[in-house]
Amino acid sequence: MEQMDYAGAGSFFIVFLVSLFIGMALSLQISTELSSLGLKMYTGKIVGISIIREIGPVAIALSYAGRVGSGMASEIGSMVLGHQVDMLRVFGIDPVKKLVIPRVLSSTIMLPLLTIIGDAVSLFGGYYISVFVSHQSGSFYWSQIRAIMGFQNIFSGIVKPFIFGFVIACISCYMGLATRGGARGLRRATTTAVVLSTIMIIITDFLLTRILFFVLGMQA
Amino acid sequence: MIELQDLRLSYDRHRVLDGINFCAHFHEKIAILGESGEGKTTLLKLLLCLARPDSGRIVIDGQDITFLPESKLRQSRMKFSIVFQEGALFDSLDVRENVAFCMREFSTLSEEEIENKVRGLLRRVGIEEAIDLMPDELSGGMQRRVAMARSLAGCEPEMMLYDEPTSGLDPITADNICNLINELSSGSPTERRGLIIVTHDVEAAARVAERFLYLKDGKIVFDGGLDALTHTGHPGLRKFIKEILPR
Repeated sequence: MEQMDYAGAGSFFIVFLVSLFIGMALSLQISTELSSLGLKMYTGKIVGISIIREIGPVAIALSYAGRVGSGMASEIGSMVLGHQVDMLRVFGIDPVKKLVIPRVLSSTIMLPLLTIIGDAVSLFGGYYISVFVSHQSGSFYWSQIRAIMGFQNIFSGIVKPFIFGFVIACISCYMGLATRGGARGLRRATTTAVVLSTIMIIITDFLLTRILFFVLGMQA
Repeated sequence: MIELQDLRLSYDRHRVLDGINFCAHFHEKIAILGESGEGKTTLLKLLLCLARPDSGRIVIDGQDITFLPESKLRQSRMKFSIVFQEGALFDSLDVRENVAFCMREFSTLSEEEIENKVRGLLRRVGIEEAIDLMPDELSGGMQRRVAMARSLAGCEPEMMLYDEPTSGLDPITADNICNLINELSSGSPTERRGLIIVTHDVEAAARVAERFLYLKDGKIVFDGGLDALTHTGHPGLRKFIKEILPR
């Protein structure tokens, strides 16, 4: 519960901010481009698909890796350097069970929840720009969002954060447990955890997109 | 009985231990002396299999534990308890929770019994008043006292291992820690709880130990009692122990 509180509730503010501004920026870009083609009314549809399938899960996972992943690596790393992990082993307690599994579980549960919240905030951000900056119809924007809320898009948007949460927590905990060499080692472990998580999120996103397209029968 | 046979260990091509041979009974009071980086703490970790040697054998009570899997080490680890240099207290738990940690994990004691036992242990190490404090609110000496209380809470170890217990402490606190170490290992020479103290504080070592080992270049170059130590002809060791040499 403590880990879920740290990973979930503690990340709410950053997810809210990141999602809101991503939604607004995306809506602004798309409506500007579509406007030149006379297709501005489709802003909601493109913003919705982009956010739910791709940008929402990836952007929130990247924010999460920066905040929670680095925190996990540095917390476990400082426990290694302070011999707290050794003490667990002396007491006959498996550090993986005590430190890693709760973090992996909390990430795998909380990142999808944060992504759902973030997606919703992004869509509201997009709505704000569409209506108050691009002067489109608000009801039409939401009708387009409703239209793309099919199983394929929602499934695609929910599966990814499960995997991202698992990957971020595994990498961060591993780097934390592998910490050696004092403060410099801790810095290296934390940085590597975030960099590796970032790279793995991007690669996993591509692989998952390919797999989901195949599984859900979507055409490229 | 503890037996270390021809232990060798290297870190990043730097040889830390180079053929350590050593036998001890659980009731012995041993000090491992040596300069920084000579592998003293590593030797303690090897006893608990917190580190594994490149070669050699670690035998505890006739059982070779050198390469036993983690899941089978609990029985041999239960014979020891270790107090690390900075105490290694769990910094997210307060003093009460730190001391109660093992009891909560492994015993079936009620919360009231745990509370009584925690208070008793803290009283024994002289810091019952710190029961509600967090580790970062404790001084270095208090942290080590809590660590000692915690090390006794889970089980009754046959031997205590101390990693630089007086390092960074003022002389009075260091003196109190030495008294406490002696108190926890008091009793008749064949029945008491033994100890291994790793330190470069020669005076502290002389106060708590009866057998002294000196590590140099990954080898034990001296093994003997206090009298032999103060009359050693080893120039490096004589320089190291000059504080306790007769003037």
